[in-house]
Amino acid sequence: MSKRIIKFISVSTGYGHTVIHSDINITIEKNDFIGIVGPNGAGKTTFLKTLLGGLKPLAGKIEKENLVFGYVPQRDTVQPILPYTVHDVVMMGRYPQLGLFKLPSLDDKKRVAECLERVGILNLEPSIYNSLSGGQRQRTLIARALVSKPDVLILDEPTNGMDTPSHHALLTLIEDLHKTYQLTVLLVSHLLSDVANLVKRLILFEKGSLQFGTIEELLSEEKLGQTYSANIKVKKVDGEYLISSKYND
Amino acid sequence: MTDMAEIFNTLLELFPYAMMGGITAGIICGFLGVFVVSQRVIFLGAALTQAAIAGVAFSFLHLINLESMLASLFGIPSVENSFLHHFEHTFFSLLFAVIAVFVFSQSFKQKYLTTDSLLGFIFVIAIAARIIFIQKSPIAEVSEIEAILKGDILFIGAGEFYTLLTILIIVVSIFTLFSKQLRFVTFDTETAAAHGLNNKFWLLFFYLTVGIGISLTTRFVGDVFSFAFLIIPASIAIMVARSVISVFIISVLIGGIIPPLAIFIAFELDVSSGPTAVIVAFIVFLTAYLAKKIRMR
Repeated sequence: MSKRIIKFISVSTGYGHTVIHSDINITIEKNDFIGIVGPNGAGKTTFLKTLLGGLKPLAGKIEKENLVFGYVPQRDTVQPILPYTVHDVVMMGRYPQLGLFKLPSLDDKKRVAECLERVGILNLEPSIYNSLSGGQRQRTLIARALVSKPDVLILDEPTNGMDTPSHHALLTLIEDLHKTYQLTVLLVSHLLSDVANLVKRLILFEKGSLQFGTIEELLSEEKLGQTYSANIKVKKVDGEYLISSKYND
Repeated sequence: MTDMAEIFNTLLELFPYAMMGGITAGIICGFLGVFVVSQRVIFLGAALTQAAIAGVAFSFLHLINLESMLASLFGIPSVENSFLHHFEHTFFSLLFAVIAVFVFSQSFKQKYLTTDSLLGFIFVIAIAARIIFIQKSPIAEVSEIEAILKGDILFIGAGEFYTLLTILIIVVSIFTLFSKQLRFVTFDTETAAAHGLNNKFWLLFFYLTVGIGISLTTRFVGDVFSFAFLIIPASIAIMVARSVISVFIISVLIGGIIPPLAIFIAFELDVSSGPTAVIVAFIVFLTAYLAKKIRMR
Protein backbone atom coordinates (compact mmCIF):
# COMPACT_ATOMS: atom_id res chain seq x y z
CA MET A 1 0.00 0.00 0.00
CA SER A 2 1.36 3.44 -0.99
CA LYS A 3 2.04 6.11 1.58
CA ARG A 4 -0.81 8.58 2.14
CA ILE A 5 0.55 12.08 1.65
CA ILE A 6 -2.55 14.30 1.50
CA LYS A 7 -5.73 13.77 3.46
CA PHE A 8 -8.87 15.92 3.25
CA ILE A 9 -10.87 15.41 6.44
CA SER A 10 -14.44 16.73 6.23
CA VAL A 11 -13.20 19.78 4.34
CA SER A 12 -15.49 22.54 3.11
CA THR A 13 -14.15 24.80 0.36
CA GLY A 14 -15.39 28.24 -0.67
CA TYR A 15 -14.92 32.01 -0.41
CA GLY A 16 -15.98 34.12 2.56
CA HIS A 17 -19.32 32.73 3.69
CA THR A 18 -20.04 30.94 0.39
CA VAL A 19 -19.52 27.20 0.64
CA ILE A 20 -18.81 25.59 -2.75
CA HIS A 21 -18.19 22.00 -1.63
CA SER A 22 -18.65 20.53 1.82
CA ASP A 23 -17.61 17.38 3.62
CA ILE A 24 -14.78 16.47 1.23
CA ASN A 25 -12.99 13.30 2.35
CA ILE A 26 -10.20 12.42 -0.05
CA THR A 27 -6.90 10.64 0.43
CA ILE A 28 -4.08 11.13 -2.08
CA GLU A 29 -1.23 8.63 -2.07
CA LYS A 30 2.39 8.90 -3.11
CA ASN A 31 2.81 8.26 -6.86
CA ASP A 32 -0.90 8.81 -7.40
CA PHE A 33 -2.03 10.20 -10.75
CA ILE A 34 -5.32 12.00 -10.36
CA GLY A 35 -7.43 13.77 -12.94
CA ILE A 36 -9.54 16.71 -11.82
CA VAL A 37 -12.43 17.24 -14.20
CA GLY A 38 -15.76 19.00 -14.29
CA PRO A 39 -17.57 21.83 -16.03
CA ASN A 40 -16.52 25.48 -15.66
CA GLY A 41 -17.56 27.01 -12.34
CA ALA A 42 -17.84 23.64 -10.62
CA GLY A 43 -15.16 24.55 -8.07
CA LYS A 44 -11.96 22.97 -9.45
CA THR A 45 -9.89 26.15 -8.96
CA THR A 46 -11.25 26.70 -5.44
CA PHE A 47 -10.33 23.11 -4.60
CA LEU A 48 -6.77 23.63 -5.92
CA LYS A 49 -6.34 26.95 -4.12
CA THR A 50 -7.46 25.32 -0.88
CA LEU A 51 -5.06 22.43 -1.37
CA LEU A 52 -2.17 24.83 -2.09
CA GLY A 53 -2.94 26.98 0.96
CA GLY A 54 -4.11 30.09 -0.94
CA LEU A 55 -7.56 29.66 0.61
CA LYS A 56 -8.30 28.38 4.10
CA PRO A 57 -10.76 25.51 4.37
CA LEU A 58 -14.11 26.80 5.66
CA ALA A 59 -14.39 23.65 7.76
CA GLY A 60 -12.38 20.49 8.40
CA LYS A 61 -8.65 20.14 7.83
CA ILE A 62 -6.13 19.09 5.21
CA GLU A 63 -3.19 16.97 6.37
CA LYS A 64 -0.15 17.40 4.09
CA GLU A 65 3.15 16.71 5.76
CA ASN A 66 5.83 19.21 4.58
CA LEU A 67 5.11 18.61 0.94
CA VAL A 68 6.72 20.65 -1.82
CA PHE A 69 4.20 21.52 -4.53
CA GLY A 70 5.20 22.24 -8.12
CA TYR A 71 2.44 24.24 -9.76
CA VAL A 72 1.96 24.77 -13.49
CA PRO A 73 -0.63 27.51 -14.10
CA GLN A 74 -2.71 27.98 -17.22
CA ARG A 75 -0.31 29.26 -19.86
CA ASP A 76 -2.43 32.28 -20.80
CA THR A 77 -2.25 33.69 -17.27
CA VAL A 78 1.52 34.21 -17.66
CA GLN A 79 2.12 37.00 -20.17
CA PRO A 80 5.07 39.09 -19.04
CA ILE A 81 5.88 42.47 -20.55
CA LEU A 82 9.54 42.22 -19.55
CA PRO A 83 11.88 40.13 -21.75
CA TYR A 84 12.57 37.27 -19.31
CA THR A 85 14.65 34.41 -20.73
CA VAL A 86 13.63 30.76 -20.36
CA HIS A 87 16.50 30.41 -17.85
CA ASP A 88 15.11 33.33 -15.79
CA VAL A 89 11.63 31.82 -15.73
CA VAL A 90 12.75 28.34 -14.68
CA MET A 91 15.11 29.74 -12.02
CA MET A 92 12.11 31.43 -10.37
CA GLY A 93 11.04 27.94 -9.23
CA ARG A 94 14.16 27.81 -7.03
CA TYR A 95 13.63 31.20 -5.38
CA PRO A 96 11.35 30.12 -2.50
CA GLN A 97 13.95 27.52 -1.47
CA LEU A 98 16.87 29.97 -1.60
CA GLY A 99 15.70 32.07 1.34
CA LEU A 100 15.44 35.84 1.60
CA PHE A 101 18.81 37.12 0.41
CA LYS A 102 20.77 34.19 -1.11
CA LEU A 103 21.54 34.35 -4.82
CA PRO A 104 21.27 31.29 -7.11
CA SER A 105 24.40 29.12 -6.97
CA LEU A 106 26.11 27.07 -9.67
CA ASP A 107 24.14 24.05 -8.43
CA ASP A 108 20.88 25.93 -8.92
CA LYS A 109 21.92 26.80 -12.48
CA LYS A 110 22.80 23.15 -13.15
CA ARG A 111 19.42 22.11 -11.79
CA VAL A 112 17.71 24.56 -14.17
CA ALA A 113 19.62 23.07 -17.12
CA GLU A 114 18.73 19.50 -16.00
CA CYS A 115 15.02 20.33 -15.82
CA LEU A 116 15.07 22.03 -19.21
CA GLU A 117 16.78 18.96 -20.65
CA ARG A 118 14.17 16.75 -19.02
CA VAL A 119 11.33 18.60 -20.74
CA GLY A 120 13.27 18.69 -24.02
CA ILE A 121 14.00 22.41 -24.43
CA LEU A 122 17.56 22.86 -23.15
CA ASN A 123 18.45 24.53 -26.46
CA LEU A 124 15.93 27.30 -25.64
CA GLU A 125 17.55 28.28 -22.32
CA PRO A 126 18.76 31.73 -23.53
CA SER A 127 15.60 32.43 -25.58
CA ILE A 128 13.08 35.08 -24.58
CA TYR A 129 9.98 33.46 -23.01
CA ASN A 130 7.62 35.73 -24.97
CA SER A 131 9.06 34.53 -28.29
CA LEU A 132 8.22 30.84 -27.64
CA SER A 133 5.35 28.82 -29.06
CA GLY A 134 2.51 27.66 -26.79
CA GLY A 135 3.97 24.18 -26.37
CA GLN A 136 7.44 25.53 -25.57
CA ARG A 137 6.02 27.94 -23.00
CA GLN A 138 4.12 25.10 -21.34
CA ARG A 139 7.31 23.02 -21.16
CA THR A 140 9.13 26.02 -19.64
CA LEU A 141 6.46 26.28 -16.94
CA ILE A 142 6.68 22.53 -16.27
CA ALA A 143 10.49 22.83 -15.95
CA ARG A 144 9.95 25.67 -13.46
CA ALA A 145 7.68 23.43 -11.40
CA LEU A 146 10.21 20.56 -11.53
CA VAL A 147 13.16 22.72 -10.50
CA SER A 148 11.75 22.96 -6.98
CA LYS A 149 12.04 19.12 -6.68
CA PRO A 150 8.32 18.79 -5.94
CA ASP A 151 6.57 15.91 -4.20
CA VAL A 152 3.35 16.81 -5.95
CA LEU A 153 3.03 18.26 -9.45
CA ILE A 154 -0.19 20.15 -10.17
CA LEU A 155 -1.01 21.11 -13.75
CA ASP A 156 -3.94 23.39 -14.56
CA GLU A 157 -5.30 22.79 -18.08
CA PRO A 158 -1.82 22.21 -19.57
CA THR A 159 -3.01 21.34 -23.08
CA ASN A 160 -5.42 24.24 -23.52
CA GLY A 161 -5.24 25.81 -26.98
CA MET A 162 -2.54 23.49 -28.33
CA ASP A 163 -2.40 21.83 -31.73
CA THR A 164 -2.82 18.03 -31.80
CA PRO A 165 0.88 17.00 -32.03
CA SER A 166 1.95 19.37 -29.22
CA HIS A 167 -1.07 18.26 -27.20
CA HIS A 168 -0.11 14.57 -27.36
CA ALA A 169 3.60 15.26 -26.89
CA LEU A 170 2.82 17.16 -23.70
CA LEU A 171 0.57 14.45 -22.28
CA THR A 172 3.32 11.89 -23.03
CA LEU A 173 5.82 14.10 -21.18
CA ILE A 174 3.52 14.38 -18.13
CA GLU A 175 3.02 10.60 -18.05
CA ASP A 176 6.76 10.10 -18.40
CA LEU A 177 7.51 12.48 -15.51
CA HIS A 178 5.00 10.63 -13.35
CA LYS A 179 6.64 7.27 -14.09
CA THR A 180 10.30 8.35 -14.02
CA TYR A 181 10.23 10.46 -10.85
CA GLN A 182 7.36 8.59 -9.18
CA LEU A 183 5.75 11.99 -8.94
CA THR A 184 2.30 12.43 -7.55
CA VAL A 185 0.44 14.29 -10.29
CA LEU A 186 -2.84 16.21 -10.17
CA LEU A 187 -3.99 17.09 -13.67
CA VAL A 188 -6.83 19.55 -14.18
CA SER A 189 -8.50 19.32 -17.56
CA HIS A 190 -11.85 19.91 -19.15
CA LEU A 191 -11.01 17.30 -21.80
CA LEU A 192 -12.31 14.08 -20.29
CA SER A 193 -10.72 11.88 -22.95
CA ASP A 194 -7.26 13.30 -22.12
CA VAL A 195 -7.63 12.53 -18.46
CA ALA A 196 -9.43 9.20 -18.83
CA ASN A 197 -6.58 7.55 -20.72
CA LEU A 198 -3.83 8.92 -18.54
CA VAL A 199 -4.73 9.00 -14.86
CA LYS A 200 -5.41 6.31 -12.27
CA ARG A 201 -8.15 8.09 -10.35
CA LEU A 202 -10.59 10.92 -10.93
CA ILE A 203 -12.13 13.73 -8.95
CA LEU A 204 -15.30 14.56 -10.83
CA PHE A 205 -16.63 17.99 -9.92
CA GLU A 206 -20.27 18.96 -10.18
CA LYS A 207 -21.90 22.11 -8.90
CA GLY A 208 -22.21 21.56 -5.16
CA SER A 209 -20.76 18.05 -5.03
CA LEU A 210 -17.85 15.91 -6.17
CA GLN A 211 -17.09 12.25 -6.69
CA PHE A 212 -13.77 10.54 -6.13
CA GLY A 213 -12.83 7.12 -7.41
CA THR A 214 -11.07 5.07 -10.04
CA ILE A 215 -11.63 5.62 -13.76
CA GLU A 216 -13.73 2.45 -13.98
CA GLU A 217 -15.94 3.59 -11.13
CA LEU A 218 -16.62 7.07 -12.44
CA LEU A 219 -16.56 6.86 -16.23
CA SER A 220 -20.12 5.79 -16.74
CA GLU A 221 -22.48 7.50 -19.16
CA GLU A 222 -24.94 8.05 -16.35
CA LYS A 223 -22.47 9.79 -14.01
CA LEU A 224 -20.90 11.95 -16.73
CA GLY A 225 -24.30 12.87 -18.11
CA GLN A 226 -25.31 14.02 -14.64
CA THR A 227 -22.09 16.03 -14.18
CA TYR A 228 -22.14 17.82 -17.55
CA SER A 229 -25.96 17.94 -17.91
CA ALA A 230 -25.61 16.40 -21.40
CA ASN A 231 -25.96 13.08 -23.16
CA ILE A 232 -22.48 11.60 -23.10
CA LYS A 233 -21.32 8.36 -24.70
CA VAL A 234 -18.39 6.38 -23.28
CA LYS A 235 -16.77 3.69 -25.48
CA LYS A 236 -13.63 1.63 -24.95
CA VAL A 237 -11.71 0.93 -28.18
CA ASP A 238 -8.40 -1.00 -28.03
CA GLY A 239 -8.15 -0.30 -24.31
CA GLU A 240 -8.62 3.48 -24.77
CA TYR A 241 -11.64 5.45 -23.65
CA LEU A 242 -13.49 7.48 -26.27
CA ILE A 243 -15.84 10.04 -24.79
CA SER A 244 -18.19 12.02 -26.97
CA SER A 245 -21.55 13.71 -27.06
CA LYS A 246 -24.29 11.36 -28.23
CA TYR A 247 -25.31 13.98 -30.81
CA ASN A 248 -21.86 13.72 -32.46
CA ASP A 249 -22.17 9.99 -32.93
CA MET B 1 28.76 74.58 -29.89
CA THR B 2 30.76 76.90 -27.65
CA ASP B 3 27.56 78.86 -26.94
CA MET B 4 25.80 75.69 -25.89
CA ALA B 5 28.64 74.74 -23.56
CA GLU B 6 28.61 78.23 -22.11
CA ILE B 7 24.86 78.09 -21.46
CA PHE B 8 25.27 74.68 -19.84
CA ASN B 9 28.06 76.01 -17.62
CA THR B 10 25.95 79.02 -16.66
CA LEU B 11 23.00 76.76 -15.83
CA LEU B 12 25.24 74.50 -13.77
CA GLU B 13 26.55 77.50 -11.85
CA LEU B 14 23.09 79.02 -11.36
CA PHE B 15 21.13 75.83 -10.67
CA PRO B 16 23.59 73.07 -9.64
CA TYR B 17 21.07 71.28 -7.45
CA ALA B 18 18.29 71.66 -10.02
CA MET B 19 20.49 69.90 -12.59
CA MET B 20 21.56 67.11 -10.24
CA GLY B 21 18.10 66.86 -8.65
CA GLY B 22 16.47 66.64 -12.09
CA ILE B 23 18.83 63.80 -13.04
CA THR B 24 18.15 61.99 -9.75
CA ALA B 25 14.36 62.42 -10.03
CA GLY B 26 14.50 61.14 -13.63
CA ILE B 27 16.50 58.09 -12.52
CA ILE B 28 14.08 57.32 -9.65
CA CYS B 29 11.05 57.55 -11.95
CA GLY B 30 12.80 55.62 -14.74
CA PHE B 31 13.69 52.84 -12.29
CA LEU B 32 10.26 52.61 -10.63
CA GLY B 33 8.58 53.00 -14.02
CA VAL B 34 9.85 49.56 -15.11
CA PHE B 35 7.87 48.04 -12.23
CA VAL B 36 4.77 50.19 -12.85
CA VAL B 37 4.67 49.60 -16.63
CA SER B 38 5.48 45.87 -16.45
CA GLN B 39 2.76 45.39 -13.79
CA ARG B 40 0.26 47.08 -16.11
CA VAL B 41 -0.64 49.61 -13.39
CA ILE B 42 0.38 52.82 -15.17
CA PHE B 43 -2.64 54.59 -13.71
CA LEU B 44 -1.20 53.87 -10.26
CA GLY B 45 1.48 56.46 -11.08
CA ALA B 46 -1.19 59.07 -11.86
CA ALA B 47 -3.21 58.19 -8.75
CA LEU B 48 -0.17 58.30 -6.46
CA THR B 49 1.08 61.63 -7.80
CA GLN B 50 -2.37 63.15 -7.15
CA ALA B 51 -2.55 61.56 -3.67
CA ALA B 52 0.88 63.02 -2.86
CA ILE B 53 -0.22 66.49 -3.98
CA ALA B 54 -3.43 66.20 -1.94
CA GLY B 55 -1.19 65.41 1.05
CA VAL B 56 0.82 68.59 0.53
CA ALA B 57 -2.43 70.58 0.16
CA PHE B 58 -3.65 69.05 3.44
CA SER B 59 -0.51 70.26 5.19
CA PHE B 60 -1.51 73.86 4.30
CA LEU B 61 -4.60 73.51 6.48
CA HIS B 62 -2.27 73.36 9.50
CA LEU B 63 -4.72 71.14 11.36
CA ILE B 64 -1.86 69.23 12.94
CA ASN B 65 1.17 71.39 13.57
CA LEU B 66 3.94 68.82 13.25
CA GLU B 67 6.52 71.56 12.78
CA SER B 68 5.94 72.99 16.29
CA MET B 69 5.56 69.53 17.81
CA LEU B 70 8.95 68.39 16.47
CA ALA B 71 10.57 71.72 17.30
CA SER B 72 9.51 71.52 20.94
CA LEU B 73 10.38 67.80 21.10
CA PHE B 74 13.95 68.33 19.91
CA GLY B 75 14.33 71.90 21.23
CA ILE B 76 14.99 73.42 17.77
CA PRO B 77 13.87 76.93 16.79
CA SER B 78 11.43 76.01 14.01
CA VAL B 79 11.43 79.34 12.13
CA GLU B 80 15.08 79.11 11.13
CA ASN B 81 15.13 75.38 10.46
CA SER B 82 14.60 74.57 6.77
CA PHE B 83 14.21 70.82 7.45
CA LEU B 84 11.32 71.46 9.82
CA HIS B 85 9.86 74.01 7.46
CA HIS B 86 9.50 71.38 4.71
CA PHE B 87 8.85 68.41 6.99
CA GLU B 88 5.11 68.88 7.25
CA HIS B 89 4.52 69.04 3.47
CA THR B 90 6.74 66.03 2.86
CA PHE B 91 5.24 64.02 5.74
CA PHE B 92 1.65 64.47 4.57
CA SER B 93 2.56 63.89 0.94
CA LEU B 94 4.10 60.57 2.01
CA LEU B 95 1.20 59.72 4.32
CA PHE B 96 -1.43 60.28 1.63
CA ALA B 97 0.54 58.19 -0.91
CA VAL B 98 0.90 55.35 1.60
CA ILE B 99 -2.84 55.46 2.35
CA ALA B 100 -3.51 55.38 -1.41
CA VAL B 101 -1.31 52.26 -1.76
CA PHE B 102 -3.19 50.53 1.09
CA VAL B 103 -6.52 51.36 -0.57
CA PHE B 104 -5.17 50.12 -3.91
CA SER B 105 -3.96 46.89 -2.28
CA GLN B 106 -7.60 46.05 -1.48
CA SER B 107 -8.02 45.23 -5.17
CA PHE B 108 -6.08 41.99 -4.48
CA LYS B 109 -8.65 40.97 -1.88
CA GLN B 110 -12.06 41.68 -3.38
CA LYS B 111 -13.81 41.03 -6.66
CA TYR B 112 -16.44 43.78 -6.82
CA LEU B 113 -14.11 46.53 -8.05
CA THR B 114 -11.46 46.26 -10.76
CA THR B 115 -7.95 47.60 -10.19
CA ASP B 116 -8.67 50.35 -12.72
CA SER B 117 -11.84 51.45 -10.95
CA LEU B 118 -10.08 51.58 -7.61
CA LEU B 119 -7.27 53.69 -9.08
CA GLY B 120 -9.88 55.95 -10.69
CA PHE B 121 -11.49 56.49 -7.29
CA ILE B 122 -8.14 57.39 -5.69
CA PHE B 123 -7.34 59.74 -8.59
CA VAL B 124 -10.56 61.79 -8.55
CA ILE B 125 -10.94 61.83 -4.78
CA ALA B 126 -7.35 63.08 -4.42
CA ILE B 127 -8.01 65.91 -6.90
CA ALA B 128 -11.32 66.85 -5.22
CA ALA B 129 -9.71 66.77 -1.78
CA ARG B 130 -6.84 68.96 -3.00
CA ILE B 131 -9.24 71.63 -4.29
CA ILE B 132 -11.16 71.67 -1.00
CA PHE B 133 -7.97 71.75 1.11
CA ILE B 134 -6.64 74.72 -0.89
CA GLN B 135 -9.95 76.61 -0.62
CA LYS B 136 -9.99 76.10 3.14
CA SER B 137 -6.32 76.94 3.62
CA PRO B 138 -5.61 79.97 5.83
CA ILE B 139 -2.99 81.11 3.27
CA ALA B 140 -4.70 83.65 1.01
CA GLU B 141 -3.05 83.12 -2.40
CA VAL B 142 -4.43 80.00 -4.05
CA SER B 143 -2.08 80.36 -7.03
CA GLU B 144 0.90 80.50 -4.68
CA ILE B 145 -0.15 77.23 -3.03
CA GLU B 146 -0.80 75.62 -6.42
CA ALA B 147 2.75 76.57 -7.48
CA ILE B 148 4.20 74.94 -4.35
CA LEU B 149 2.00 71.87 -4.84
CA LYS B 150 3.11 71.39 -8.41
CA GLY B 151 6.82 71.52 -7.66
CA ASP B 152 9.48 72.67 -10.13
CA ILE B 153 12.85 71.21 -11.10
CA LEU B 154 14.46 74.70 -11.00
CA PHE B 155 13.49 75.17 -7.34
CA ILE B 156 15.37 72.05 -6.22
CA GLY B 157 17.85 73.10 -3.56
CA ALA B 158 20.52 71.22 -1.59
CA GLY B 159 17.97 69.77 0.87
CA GLU B 160 15.66 68.50 -1.87
CA PHE B 161 18.58 67.05 -3.84
CA TYR B 162 19.92 65.07 -0.88
CA THR B 163 16.40 63.83 -0.09
CA LEU B 164 16.02 62.64 -3.69
CA LEU B 165 19.44 60.96 -3.53
CA THR B 166 18.42 59.15 -0.32
CA ILE B 167 15.16 58.00 -1.96
CA LEU B 168 17.11 56.71 -4.96
CA ILE B 169 19.49 54.70 -2.75
CA ILE B 170 16.61 53.26 -0.69
CA VAL B 171 14.49 52.34 -3.71
CA VAL B 172 17.35 50.72 -5.67
CA SER B 173 18.55 48.86 -2.54
CA ILE B 174 15.09 47.44 -1.82
CA PHE B 175 14.45 46.35 -5.40
CA THR B 176 17.94 44.82 -5.69
CA LEU B 177 17.92 43.10 -2.31
CA PHE B 178 14.54 41.51 -2.92
CA SER B 179 14.86 41.07 -6.68
CA LYS B 180 14.07 37.32 -6.47
CA GLN B 181 10.75 37.93 -4.75
CA LEU B 182 10.05 40.88 -7.04
CA ARG B 183 10.64 38.82 -10.19
CA PHE B 184 8.52 35.86 -9.12
CA VAL B 185 5.49 37.70 -7.70
CA THR B 186 5.34 40.14 -10.60
CA PHE B 187 5.91 37.48 -13.28
CA ASP B 188 3.34 35.00 -12.00
CA THR B 189 1.61 35.84 -8.72
CA GLU B 190 -0.49 32.67 -8.63
CA THR B 191 2.46 30.28 -8.94
CA ALA B 192 4.62 32.31 -6.56
CA ALA B 193 1.91 31.82 -3.94
CA ALA B 194 1.59 28.11 -4.76
CA HIS B 195 5.37 27.75 -4.31
CA GLY B 196 5.22 29.27 -0.84
CA LEU B 197 5.87 33.01 -1.36
CA ASN B 198 3.52 35.36 0.46
CA ASN B 199 2.49 37.19 -2.70
CA LYS B 200 0.10 39.63 -1.00
CA PHE B 201 2.79 40.77 1.43
CA TRP B 202 5.45 41.15 -1.26
CA LEU B 203 3.18 43.01 -3.69
CA LEU B 204 2.12 45.40 -0.93
CA PHE B 205 5.77 45.89 0.06
CA PHE B 206 6.83 46.76 -3.52
CA TYR B 207 3.81 49.01 -4.08
CA LEU B 208 4.60 50.83 -0.82
CA THR B 209 8.19 51.37 -1.99
CA VAL B 210 6.86 52.72 -5.29
CA GLY B 211 4.37 54.92 -3.40
CA ILE B 212 7.09 56.41 -1.19
CA GLY B 213 9.38 57.00 -4.18
CA ILE B 214 6.68 58.63 -6.29
CA SER B 215 5.24 60.81 -3.53
CA LEU B 216 8.59 62.34 -2.59
CA THR B 217 9.66 62.82 -6.20
CA THR B 218 6.31 64.47 -7.02
CA ARG B 219 6.75 66.76 -4.04
CA PHE B 220 9.96 68.21 -5.57
CA VAL B 221 9.53 67.99 -9.34
CA GLY B 222 5.77 68.05 -9.84
CA ASP B 223 3.11 65.58 -10.91
CA VAL B 224 3.46 66.02 -14.68
CA PHE B 225 7.20 65.29 -14.64
CA SER B 226 6.87 62.34 -12.22
CA PHE B 227 4.00 60.67 -14.06
CA ALA B 228 5.56 61.15 -17.49
CA PHE B 229 8.93 59.82 -16.34
CA LEU B 230 7.28 56.79 -14.79
CA ILE B 231 5.82 55.83 -18.16
CA ILE B 232 8.00 57.10 -21.00
CA PRO B 233 11.57 55.89 -20.18
CA ALA B 234 10.30 52.44 -19.13
CA SER B 235 8.14 52.13 -22.26
CA ILE B 236 11.12 53.01 -24.49
CA ALA B 237 13.34 50.55 -22.61
CA ILE B 238 10.83 47.69 -22.86
CA MET B 239 10.48 48.39 -26.59
CA VAL B 240 14.21 48.23 -27.38
CA ALA B 241 15.88 46.08 -24.69
CA ARG B 242 16.54 42.36 -25.01
CA SER B 243 17.01 41.45 -21.36
CA VAL B 244 15.45 42.48 -18.07
CA ILE B 245 18.64 44.08 -16.78
CA SER B 246 19.01 46.15 -19.96
CA VAL B 247 15.39 47.35 -19.56
CA PHE B 248 16.37 48.84 -16.18
CA ILE B 249 19.65 50.30 -17.51
CA ILE B 250 18.06 51.94 -20.57
CA SER B 251 15.11 53.29 -18.58
CA VAL B 252 17.38 54.79 -15.92
CA LEU B 253 19.72 56.29 -18.56
CA ILE B 254 16.85 57.95 -20.43
CA GLY B 255 15.36 59.14 -17.14
CA GLY B 256 18.70 60.66 -16.12
CA ILE B 257 19.78 62.23 -19.42
CA ILE B 258 16.60 64.06 -20.42
CA PRO B 259 16.13 66.45 -17.41
CA PRO B 260 19.38 68.47 -17.83
CA LEU B 261 18.77 68.58 -21.58
CA ALA B 262 15.23 69.81 -20.90
CA ILE B 263 16.48 72.50 -18.50
CA PHE B 264 18.81 73.70 -21.27
CA ILE B 265 16.01 73.76 -23.89
CA ALA B 266 13.60 75.41 -21.44
CA PHE B 267 16.21 78.10 -20.75
CA GLU B 268 16.72 78.70 -24.48
CA LEU B 269 12.99 78.85 -25.25
CA ASP B 270 12.03 80.60 -21.99
CA VAL B 271 9.46 77.97 -21.01
CA SER B 272 8.92 75.78 -17.92
CA SER B 273 11.44 72.98 -17.45
CA GLY B 274 9.03 70.25 -16.22
CA PRO B 275 6.70 70.24 -19.26
CA THR B 276 9.74 70.63 -21.57
CA ALA B 277 11.24 67.47 -20.06
CA VAL B 278 7.99 65.63 -20.79
CA ILE B 279 7.91 66.79 -24.43
CA VAL B 280 11.59 65.87 -24.94
CA ALA B 281 10.96 62.42 -23.43
CA PHE B 282 7.99 61.95 -25.75
CA ILE B 283 10.10 62.92 -28.79
CA VAL B 284 12.69 60.31 -27.75
CA PHE B 285 9.88 57.74 -27.40
CA LEU B 286 8.48 58.61 -30.85
CA THR B 287 11.94 58.33 -32.42
CA ALA B 288 12.55 54.93 -30.80
CA TYR B 289 9.08 53.74 -31.85
CA LEU B 290 9.54 54.79 -35.48
CA ALA B 291 13.07 53.32 -35.60
CA LYS B 292 11.71 50.03 -34.28
CA LYS B 293 8.87 50.08 -36.85
CA ILE B 294 11.28 50.73 -39.73
CA ARG B 295 13.68 48.01 -38.54
CA MET B 296 10.84 45.47 -38.27
CA ARG B 297 9.88 45.96 -41.96
